[in-house]
Amino acid sequence: MLALCSLGPTLSGCSRFDVNSPQIRGIAYVRVDDVVRHDPMYPQLSHIDDAIAMVDLAGAGPRVPHSAAEIAREDARIRTEVAAARARTQQIVTTKQREYAAREQAAVAAALSAAGVRNASNVAATMGHVSLQQQGAAVQQAGRDYAAFQQSVVSQSNDAARGIVRQLQQQANEKLQAKAMQEQQRETNLSLQLSQQDAAKRLSIQTKLSMLALDNATRRQLQAQLAAMTRRENDVLSAQRAADRREFTAYRATVMAQTNQQMQAQVSSIRTETQAKLVARRSIVGAQLRGLAGPASVPHLTPATQAQIRRIAQQFQQQYQTDIQGVLSEYAQNAYALEAQYAALHGADAAASGATAQEVAVLQQRRQALYDQIVGQVEREAQRLAKEKGFRVVFSNVTAAPGGYDMTNELIHDIESEHE
Amino acid sequence: MKKHVFPLLVIGVALLTAAAPAATGRDLTDVGYIDQSAIAALPAYVNVSRQLAAYKAQLDRQYAAAIRNARTSQQRQQVGAQFSQRFNAEQRSLAGPSFMRAQLAIASVASTRSLSVVVDKRIIIYGGQDITRDVVRLLQGSQSILPLGTAPPPSEVGYVDQTALANSPQVKAASQQMAAYAERERQIYGQQFARAGSDTAKQQQIAAAYNTAMSDEQNQVLKPVVDHAQAVTAQIAQRKGLLLIIDHADILFGGTDITTDVQNALNK
Repeated sequence: MLALCSLGPTLSGCSRFDVNSPQIRGIAYVRVDDVVRHDPMYPQLSHIDDAIAMVDLAGAGPRVPHSAAEIAREDARIRTEVAAARARTQQIVTTKQREYAAREQAAVAAALSAAGVRNASNVAATMGHVSLQQQGAAVQQAGRDYAAFQQSVVSQSNDAARGIVRQLQQQANEKLQAKAMQEQQRETNLSLQLSQQDAAKRLSIQTKLSMLALDNATRRQLQAQLAAMTRRENDVLSAQRAADRREFTAYRATVMAQTNQQMQAQVSSIRTETQAKLVARRSIVGAQLRGLAGPASVPHLTPATQAQIRRIAQQFQQQYQTDIQGVLSEYAQNAYALEAQYAALHGADAAASGATAQEVAVLQQRRQALYDQIVGQVEREAQRLAKEKGFRVVFSNVTAAPGGYDMTNELIHDIESEHE
Repeated sequence: MKKHVFPLLVIGVALLTAAAPAATGRDLTDVGYIDQSAIAALPAYVNVSRQLAAYKAQLDRQYAAAIRNARTSQQRQQVGAQFSQRFNAEQRSLAGPSFMRAQLAIASVASTRSLSVVVDKRIIIYGGQDITRDVVRLLQGSQSILPLGTAPPPSEVGYVDQTALANSPQVKAASQQMAAYAERERQIYGQQFARAGSDTAKQQQIAAAYNTAMSDEQNQVLKPVVDHAQAVTAQIAQRKGLLLIIDHADILFGGTDITTDVQNALNK
């Protein structure tokens, strides 16, 4: 007995220390994380850690959350593309404006010349210049108004889409968490059930093994029986774990598919609505531009010539508006797509980083539940030991301890012997 | 023979008592603890918490808009710091009075029960005095709680502010080295993982290898720094006659703060 006690305080029941000594004063502490590592359920924790790493690494591929530098680069690219699209549209509008103005001017000059007006080309140029200035200013103003409207509508649309995505993600997350907890509980119950089933047999073998008068062959046989028992328990548990993992993967796929479908339907409906608003606005802008006054009137023209010139102006304005609608529409589509890219880059798109984060969150919650369960067992064992040895207070996870009594090794020993 | 046992025990106990230093006269029944969730569940605290959550939600929206315009990492950091300051200021203004009242209540109960230190329930596995109910009762009353006229009695339990220690040059350098390593390894293992395609067994192997690599690096880079900080903390604690050192976040009343001493020793 004395020899055993001299092995140190790791063996319970050999209290060679004085609980009330000045160095201890009734205080003990436990390095809980160190004890957790020796718990029989610790491999389950490692298994979850590996699963978290798998999700994380799967997300490290091309479809993953970007790094800060990547986001900055993408951000700059999208901004440049938006600016380029705007400049391109502006240039096309200006070129078309000049082209239509020149054609209108030529048609007016021909009409004036046919009506016998002298210097018809100069008169038409003056009329066209005034008309061009008015039209140019109106188009620019309309463009600015439209851009502001578009930005506000797209921003509202993105906010609404983000809200729906968040809500649906949360619902999916809750379903997955409930499923994970259910499987966790099933695995834990099985683990306990298996160790209880074999407890009597295991104890009997261990008792035989502790007998000194045992020949080597019998000892080896008993040890093999113990190992086979542990292997069988592990196999059953691993099979259950694998089945649970498959079930969870299938369930997650279903939930994610349903969620994505709902997201796509709702987001698509919002975007259709947004497009409709933009189309309606474009029509209003078009009507406003079509309603612009014709070219400046010139005195001394017959009413018939003036009417003909107004018809020419109206005809060219209509053609110009139809032509320009296409350009504006194309710009709106581009800008909308770029806005969507921007929103996705900053985490608004559910399909990109959301799913990874959601899966990690579910696994982390599962890990925490298991960890709490293990810590609960460690604490119960520590309480029993503290009562037995007469400590007054037992702390967990201290930062440093120049005094007090470290119960960690005794707990590790107790936990290991209980499950051997 | 049995007759002699009692007098011998009495003599033994008397000798032990006489030999023990003065500090041991006070046993560890002077350690109290509180379940902070019980305080957080009181209507006044729930209300403050709700207001703070609403403010945070509002601030989050503003932050999302502001961070969109921040192009460089420096700008992003500035935006982050600005919003953090705004939140802290609001937190001080909203939660400050309730926090102060809770502090006074804890101090008052600790004084009545002659406790030298009160800690969070989470770090007590066994023993100590649970003062949660007394503190809650005091907080539920309408009367004002007066501050104590005296300082808490000296305690054998000390504390360090771990967040302050994390700013020491060695810890900072080690943390940065670890972060850079983690980023690099994630990319490397991520590529291997992608190449594994749909081979789940291979993926599991890669994930386990990744976790092992991270753990090894942590042991090599971070652990020596943490061990050194713990050794320094233990030396200072011993010099000051303290038995245990816990984290500042777990201390609610009393205790001896050795953060500055540890910081100075680490910065030498």
